[in-house]
Amino acid sequence: MKKVVDVSIPLGPVHPCWKEPARVKCETRGEKVLAAEVELGYMKKGIERIMKGRPWQEVLFLAERVCGICSVIHNMVFIEGMEAVSGIAVPDRAAYLRVIVNELDRIQSHLLANFSFCYTIEHETLAMYLLNTRERAMDCLERITGARVNKAFMIPGGVRFDLRDNDRAALLTDLDWIQNEVDRYTRMFDTGPLIATRTKGVGILTQEQARIARAVGPTARASGIAEDVRLAHPTYRKLNFAPLVRMEGDNHARIMLRFGEIFQSIGLIHRCLSDLPEGPIRGGGTCGAGETVSRGEAPRGELSYFILSDEYGRIVDIAIRTPSIMNIDACTHFMLPGVTSLADVTSVFVSADPCIACNER
Amino acid sequence: MGIYQEKDLRMLKYHILVSPRHDHAVRDVAGILGMGVQPLRRLLIERLDMQYLENLAGRYDQWVEHGDRKDPLDRALGRELFTRYLPLVDSSGMDLILAEARASVEAGIPASEAATRARARLAEVLRP
Repeated sequence: MKKVVDVSIPLGPVHPCWKEPARVKCETRGEKVLAAEVELGYMKKGIERIMKGRPWQEVLFLAERVCGICSVIHNMVFIEGMEAVSGIAVPDRAAYLRVIVNELDRIQSHLLANFSFCYTIEHETLAMYLLNTRERAMDCLERITGARVNKAFMIPGGVRFDLRDNDRAALLTDLDWIQNEVDRYTRMFDTGPLIATRTKGVGILTQEQARIARAVGPTARASGIAEDVRLAHPTYRKLNFAPLVRMEGDNHARIMLRFGEIFQSIGLIHRCLSDLPEGPIRGGGTCGAGETVSRGEAPRGELSYFILSDEYGRIVDIAIRTPSIMNIDACTHFMLPGVTSLADVTSVFVSADPCIACNER
Repeated sequence: MGIYQEKDLRMLKYHILVSPRHDHAVRDVAGILGMGVQPLRRLLIERLDMQYLENLAGRYDQWVEHGDRKDPLDRALGRELFTRYLPLVDSSGMDLILAEARASVEAGIPASEAATRARARLAEVLRP
């Protein structure tokens, strides 16, 4: 870092407010942050290198281990990529079940992100309420997929488990409970006067800045960019999906947008359940050779996989672009400079929902 | 201690830059500057932090799509690319180089020739 003043304050790599290790160095004048930069390398897995040369059956499990918080979308994007390469069709019922599980994963991820933010601004009551609510979403995922973190629910040509009638009834009950709880917490967050002092007008990312850093997901949509990969997904198009957008670009907008997307995800699951067609959940097929770029909307934004496979379905080359790469860049180089209190650095950083595991892969 | 840590990051930064997506972007940027790939990598490693490097391909793609759309000379020289998308030079330095290029065009030198000279001047300014 080029020093323009003599005070450089490092935050991390181990910091109580952060879920994962990263070092953020802030150049400050008094309390005001002039510039910030990130140092990585504390949890590099080299997972793309590990994937190369392995059969798809192994890469399926490795893909969801890129990130423990949004493992479903990694599974989904990789499998959809292999299906595109190999010309494998997915039965309608399986396509709807994929959306249900993906949206449940989004709900738990957004609840965790908002928990982290509330914990960072030291509103522990709301934080713990949100974490408790997330447990119910995790229970729903466990009931459908059999696991809480690494589920490997999606396979080429379908999904591994069908939705049983009693699980469907339990899911509807849990969704109603989550909706009521989140509705209460959203009002608490939106109207809390002390929360407003830590969120409104803090960590602003303008639309132009978001475009320069190629910010994605809720971080971009809270700055007025109406982009969402789900708009191009065939199953989501059947569900008349439309992204939520806010214009403020501050901490408050990002957190409120995630709350809004939780309600949206609940609505999408309800629509899937009401339209869920009868039929098989696995179509079958053989993974073969080809090259593709597969995209999906992770809870944090656009996730893309470049996949090159051989005729036996082995992964010859793979490159993963996770949303946190763009969002942490936007946060560090646009949101943090100009922050007027060092106490806001952690909250601004957490408001972008940074995932270092995704970032470093 | 700080200096040793900064030095230790070089290899990590290098590994980010040689991944396939980043390598394509670096080669394209080197082409714009008329500079070798390895000197450009060194320049990027010295001037940008790890997160800029991680997102280098994304930022370059955004510039290709949205940046410097109004003025062909700005586009040829990558005015916004090198001041905003990949901030390697400050705006005043870039404006100076562009002003020289515009003066050359007004003096009757063909625009392509003026852009080539300006790029060489920019590469000179940027050279580590």
